[in-house]
Formats: sequence, C-alpha cells, structure tokens
Amino acid sequence: MTLRFRRLWLTLALLLLLLAIEFGTSFFPLDRAARPLLLIPAVLMVGAVGTMFMEVGRGPEIVRLFAVAGLLWLTILLGLGSLDPMTRTDYYVQGASVK
Amino acid sequence: MSATAIEAPAFEPSYLKDGWTLRSWLLTTDHKRIALLYLGTITIFFFVGGIAAALIRLNLIVPEGLIPSEETYNRLFTMHGVVMVWFFLIPAVPTTLGNFIVPLMLGARDLAFPKLNLASWYLFVIAGIVVLYALFAGGVDTGWTFYTPLSTAYSKGHVVAAIAGVFIAGFSSIATGLNFIVSIHRLRAPGMTWYRLPVFLWSLYATSVILVLATPVLAMTLLLLSFERIFHIGVFDPALGGDPLLFQHLFWFYSHPAVYIMILPGFGVISEIIPAFSSKRLFGYKFVVWCSIAIAVISFLVWGHHMFVAGTSLYSALVFSILSYMVAVPSAIKVFNWIGTMHKGFIRFDAPMLYALGFIGLFTVGGLTGLFVAALAADVHLTQTYFIVAHFHYVMVGGMVSAFFAGLHYWWPKITGRMYPEMWGRAGAFIIFIGFNFTFFPQFILGYLGMPRRYHSYPPEFEVLNVLSSAGATILAVGYLLPLGYLTWSLFHGERASANPWGATGLEWKTPSPPPTDNFDETPVVNEPPYNYPPPELVERHV
Amino acid sequence: MSETYLPHGFQYSSARHQAESAISGMWLFLATEVLFFGALVLTWIYSRHWNQAGFDAGARQTNLTIGTINTVILLASSFIYSAGVAFIEAGNARRLVQCCAAAWLLGVVFLILKFGVEWRDDFAKHLFPGAAFAIQGPLGGGARIFFEFYFLGTALHGLHMVGGLVLVGWIIWRTRHAEFSSTFYTPVIVVGLYWSFVDIVWIVLYPLIYLVGRGP
Repeated sequence: MTLRFRRLWLTLALLLLLLAIEFGTSFFPLDRAARPLLLIPAVLMVGAVGTMFMEVGRGPEIVRLFAVAGLLWLTILLGLGSLDPMTRTDYYVQGASVK
Repeated sequence: MSATAIEAPAFEPSYLKDGWTLRSWLLTTDHKRIALLYLGTITIFFFVGGIAAALIRLNLIVPEGLIPSEETYNRLFTMHGVVMVWFFLIPAVPTTLGNFIVPLMLGARDLAFPKLNLASWYLFVIAGIVVLYALFAGGVDTGWTFYTPLSTAYSKGHVVAAIAGVFIAGFSSIATGLNFIVSIHRLRAPGMTWYRLPVFLWSLYATSVILVLATPVLAMTLLLLSFERIFHIGVFDPALGGDPLLFQHLFWFYSHPAVYIMILPGFGVISEIIPAFSSKRLFGYKFVVWCSIAIAVISFLVWGHHMFVAGTSLYSALVFSILSYMVAVPSAIKVFNWIGTMHKGFIRFDAPMLYALGFIGLFTVGGLTGLFVAALAADVHLTQTYFIVAHFHYVMVGGMVSAFFAGLHYWWPKITGRMYPEMWGRAGAFIIFIGFNFTFFPQFILGYLGMPRRYHSYPPEFEVLNVLSSAGATILAVGYLLPLGYLTWSLFHGERASANPWGATGLEWKTPSPPPTDNFDETPVVNEPPYNYPPPELVERHV
Repeated sequence: MSETYLPHGFQYSSARHQAESAISGMWLFLATEVLFFGALVLTWIYSRHWNQAGFDAGARQTNLTIGTINTVILLASSFIYSAGVAFIEAGNARRLVQCCAAAWLLGVVFLILKFGVEWRDDFAKHLFPGAAFAIQGPLGGGARIFFEFYFLGTALHGLHMVGGLVLVGWIIWRTRHAEFSSTFYTPVIVVGLYWSFVDIVWIVLYPLIYLVGRGP
C-alpha cells in the first residue's frame, strides 16, 4: 500500500515536471506553425493521469477497450477532420469585398 | 380422495399486470415497461412527422405549390426532418424493441442501469416537448441540417429552441447506447459466448457504439451553432475569419454515422426474422456479425460525401468518395447472407416475413443508389435533387420503417401476449410496399431530370411525376394507419399467444408471453449455437 | 417431489460483478466526453489554421499566471482524490473524508480564480467577443474567434467541475454516514474517474488557451 502512495507522489512530481517543461518551452522562439508541438507534454500528462490516477490498467478488460476506443475515435475526428482545411487550395481573402 | 395434495404452480404475474397505478408506470425501472413508454412516445412523433410529410406531398401536387407560403413549406420539411430523424428513426428500434428484447435475449433480469434507462425516457420526452414547442410556435425553416449562415444569421425561426430540443434528445441517445454496451458485455447468461449472441444483439451493440461516440460531437456542434446565432462571434462566418465548412464537417461527423444508427437495428431485426421464417440457420453468422462491426467503424470515415459540392478540397473529397464505396460492402454482404439463409429453407409468409422481404428489396435499391451518389462526378449533378431524397427514403423508410414494422409484428406476441390478425398484417405489408414504391420511385426520375429538393414549387414538366408521388403517399398513409388500427384491436381481442408462437430460437421465446417482471424463473444456461434450427434435409415437411 | 429453484432476481451475479460494471459504465461515459471536447479541439484547429495571426493575438491576452496556478491546483486535486481512493482501499474512511474535502476545496479555489478573478478581468478588458471587443482591425476576427473558444471551453469545463464538486460532496456525505469500507467503495472509484477526467480536459485546454498562441 505504501507502494501505491509512492507511485501517486511520483506521478504528481512527474506531472508538475511536465507542466514546468511545457511552460518553459513555450517561451522559446518556435515557428508559429510548430507551436502545437507544445502539446506533447500535455499528452504525456494525460497518459500519466490516465494510468496512475485513473488506473486504466486495473479493472475489467473493457475499461481499456473503452479508453482506446475514445482515443481512436478522437484521432479519426481530428485527423480526417483536418484533412480538408490542410489541403484546400481556395482561400477566402480577408478583407476582400463581398460582391 | 388421494392423500397427496396437488400443489398449484405459482405463476408470477406478467409485467403488464405487475402494478396498475400511474406511478408504477411513470416510475418504473422495468425495461419492458420503459419500452412501452417509448413506443407510445415515438408513435406520436411518427404521426407528427407523417402529417408534415402529407402536407409536403399535398403542396407538391401542383407546380406552383398548393400551400401559398414558401416559408410555411420550408418549415414543414424542417419539421418533417427533425421529428423523423431524431424523434422516430434514431430511437425507434433501440428504445422500443431493443429495450424490451435485449435483456430477454441476454437471459438477464434487466439492463445494466435500469434507472438510467428511465432517465433516458424522461430526457426524450422533455426534448420532444421543446422541439414541438419550437416547431409549433412558428417553426424553423433551415431544414433538419441547420446549415450556416441561414441558421445563424438569416433565419427568423425558433432555431435555438429546436436545437435545444435535439441537444437534450442526444443525451437520451447516449444513455441508451451506454446501457446496451455495458449490458451486452456484462450481463450475458452463462454459456452465452460472443459467438452465441443473436445478431440482433450484435447489431444493437454496433448501433450503441455509434450512439455513444457520434452523438457528443453533435452536442458540441449544436452548442457552437447556438453561440454563433446568439452572439454572432464568427467561428462559422467567413467575413470574420471563420469557416462555414467547419459546421458542416462537425454536423456530418455525427449525422452520417447517425444514418447507420438508424439502419443497423433494422439489419438486426431482419437477421432474426429471416431465419425464424425460413426455419433455417442464419447463413454466414460470423460474416453478418463482423459486417455489423465494420459498418459501425467505417461509418465514421465517410461523412465528407455530404459535402462534395460544398467547397472542400478535391483531395479530401476523393478520400471520402473511396471510403464511401468501402462502407457499402458490408451491407451488401449481409443481403447475400439473408438470401443464403432463405435458400432451401421452409419459408412462411407471415406478416413479419413479408415486411422483411420488402426490406431486402427496398434497402437494396436504396443502397445501390447510394453508390451512384458516392461517385464524385455523378454527385455533382444529383446532389440536392430529388434523387437524394429518393435514395435516403428508400433506405430509411423502405428499409428501416419496414424493419421496424417487421420487428413489431414479430415480437408483438411476446410484448403483449396477443397475436395480431394475420390477414390484416399481410395486407398492411403489401399496401406499404406498393404505396412506398409509388411515392418514391418517381422521385429518382425527378432527381435525375434535375428537380431540386426543398423547393416549394417546380417547373410544370415535373407535374405528372409529382402527382404520381403524392398519390402513392396516400396509399402509404393507409398502409401506416392500418397497423395502428389492428394492433390496437389485438390488444383487446387478439388470440392469446403462447411462449413461442413462431417456433423460433432465442432466449426471449423461452419465457411466457408476456414475460413476468423478472423475465426468467431461473437464469437460463446457453449451450447451443444461435439459430439452432435442424438442417432442412433432416426435417419432414407436410406439404 | 420438491425442487429448489435458484431465484433469478437481481441482474448481477455478485457484488464484484456489479462494481466492475459500474466502473466500466463510467469509462464508457468518459469516452463520450472525449468526443464532446474533441469537437471543440477540432474547432480550435480550424480557427487557428485560418487566422493564425489574429487567433494568436487573442491568445496573448490571456492571463498566464492564473492559468498556470489553476493547472497546478487541478493536478493536486486529482492527486489528493486518488490518494483518498487508496486510503479507503486500505479501510481508512477518515483519511478518505479528509482527502475528498481537500480535493473539493481545491476545486472551489479553481472556480473562484477562474470565474471570480480571471473572467472578471477578461470582461473588464472587453475581451468577451460581443459588441465592444477590445481588439479591432485585421486581427479582430481571429481574436474574437479565439475568445469564443476560450469562453465556451472554460465555461463547459467549469460546468463539468461544478458537477464534479456535487459528486465529490456526495461521496463525502456518504463516507460520513459510514457507507464505505475496504470491501465496498465503488462509488468512490467511479467519482474519482470523473474527477480525474475533468482534470484531463483542463490539461488539454491549458496549452491550447495559454501557451500555443503566446511567445515571440
């Protein structure tokens, strides 16, 4: 049981560390298009909370099935959903008058 | 007199007799009673949506439009769409037949979360009241798709109220789907392995996956739409830097899988009826099972085919077109499975089977025409015409509503303990089939010839086909009113049904008709494959 | 001849069966929430893609200090609640109440900072994308859309937090009525899952709101 508490403390430390990294690197001069890479520490934090606080590894098998399904479908939404704007070639020109 | 006393067996009262007060119905957690509450509610909505349809077809019998106001016409087709999609088609089979039959088929006492089930009905009723308020207090003219900028900037209708109603209904859907998924995973009777599950359960599982994963996106979409309409922020407004296509992507991300929410339960019903009325094992059970799962997954990958002419990139349109061809394959495989089941079977043409056969024909036509419009080049001409209207009515009405009626007739004896009058049942099935084709086949031709949809009036050269379509609609209306009559009659005067009037397999037929509140006296144990009919060669037939 | 029937009353076969089903149900519900907030993230992606300059101009107006403090608060709150779950697993109901109360208080502090301080400041600086929006000119459109995302996202997250506070409060109430022990504490786990998930939503929102658009 002390192991469990030790794990919880370590997870909190990890989360705060990742937060610090995320916070710190946001001050670096990154190219505007590359700034979304700042989300990488956030994704790791989500993983830490999900595995250590929510204990996705414990519990019946379907718990992991549901977690994976949620993430997979999120990927479909964000990935396939972004396909269109990333590949469009007609752009609305800001400030152009509407005829 | 014999010394041994004969003990009368103690029968549990059926669920219908287990409590007579209004409270025992409105506060029930019995899945069977909740199913009946839903059945009453969706029947009301079916008639509201049906009246709107009747008025639409009435308007279209003359080219200039019989109803003088175009605005009224717009409100009618919006009402028809909103009510039929969210308050009839999406809930119909899952909340009525699903709620009733799923625990019985699983061999369980109830669903995993009975109170959540009751809550879902109350949410549904509240949602319905809000939407009916919006529609009758003046209506909405945007179509059920609420496209921007009409819905956000220009429409004078009660858009936010209508959206609020749909938003609430979404929570009802999510609750139902969640309940089914957990129940199917956790409450199967001993011996009921995954490959012994009846296909109806697999279909509802696939439906529930879509319900829980797609509906939340609709919820957020409607919130964004309301925000946009109320505050005019600009997330969908190009003049402010927004993207109107974002709305369409978000809307269709839900609404395309939604059409599979509507049809997958129908596939499940048909997969139960065909074996039962052919007295033969379902052909290719595992194919049917995995096709259902495949449809649920691939349905999330095709939504862009509703936006081919909206201004998406050509590259993304190509990807969606290819994926749309892929989603048709599992559905087509199922049709072959059903036909393979009937082959060399002993076919009985009772009403459920007639509806099921009608489904196979009508759904196939609708599905094939879906392939026409999945082709980019063809869709450029066919989109927003009556071809699309005919396509989706063939799958939704010819397909899904027929499947709903098929299931309703098939499980009617189990639900009510009464048989419906068979001749009337068969007559209804025929009338619906004929009326449906007269109504909607001309619309394929109209669309091909270029008549646009959602238009209050049309060029005179389309008059004959429109009149034919409206005439068909009156026949169809008769077909839909008939069951209301004879099914109600059967509640009081129908022949009492035995536990298994059709001689079908499945745990639901092993309990009395209607079942007691607890469903089973003792937990059933399953040790046979599903659809365990003897092979046709081994059965003696009396011709 | 008499036969004994095994009564088939309750739909679960054992307490453990029911507990696992409840936990599974909550995980499935959380999967739906992933899709709900996911749609908002897609909106962020589109909006920033079409208006990078304006969108980021709006982002630079956010209050990084409060945002970061709030993130630390939520991480701590999730940690403490999870510690509470570990305590009741060992049978220590007293510690469970203390942990839940601490998690609850941290949640309240978050809401006060977020809505009492930060939002109030934002309104005072005319950052609500209504009529008198602070940023005008070519960057205005993108900035307005950023703030729509900001206000809608934080409002929805806040609503979920309020729901979470009600649930944690319910757990505290039940624990004080001696309803939990080392053999039964399923509701504690289920509420903990929800509470940690609300934390996860914030972990994703934080960089999207405060970090990505900022910087030189």
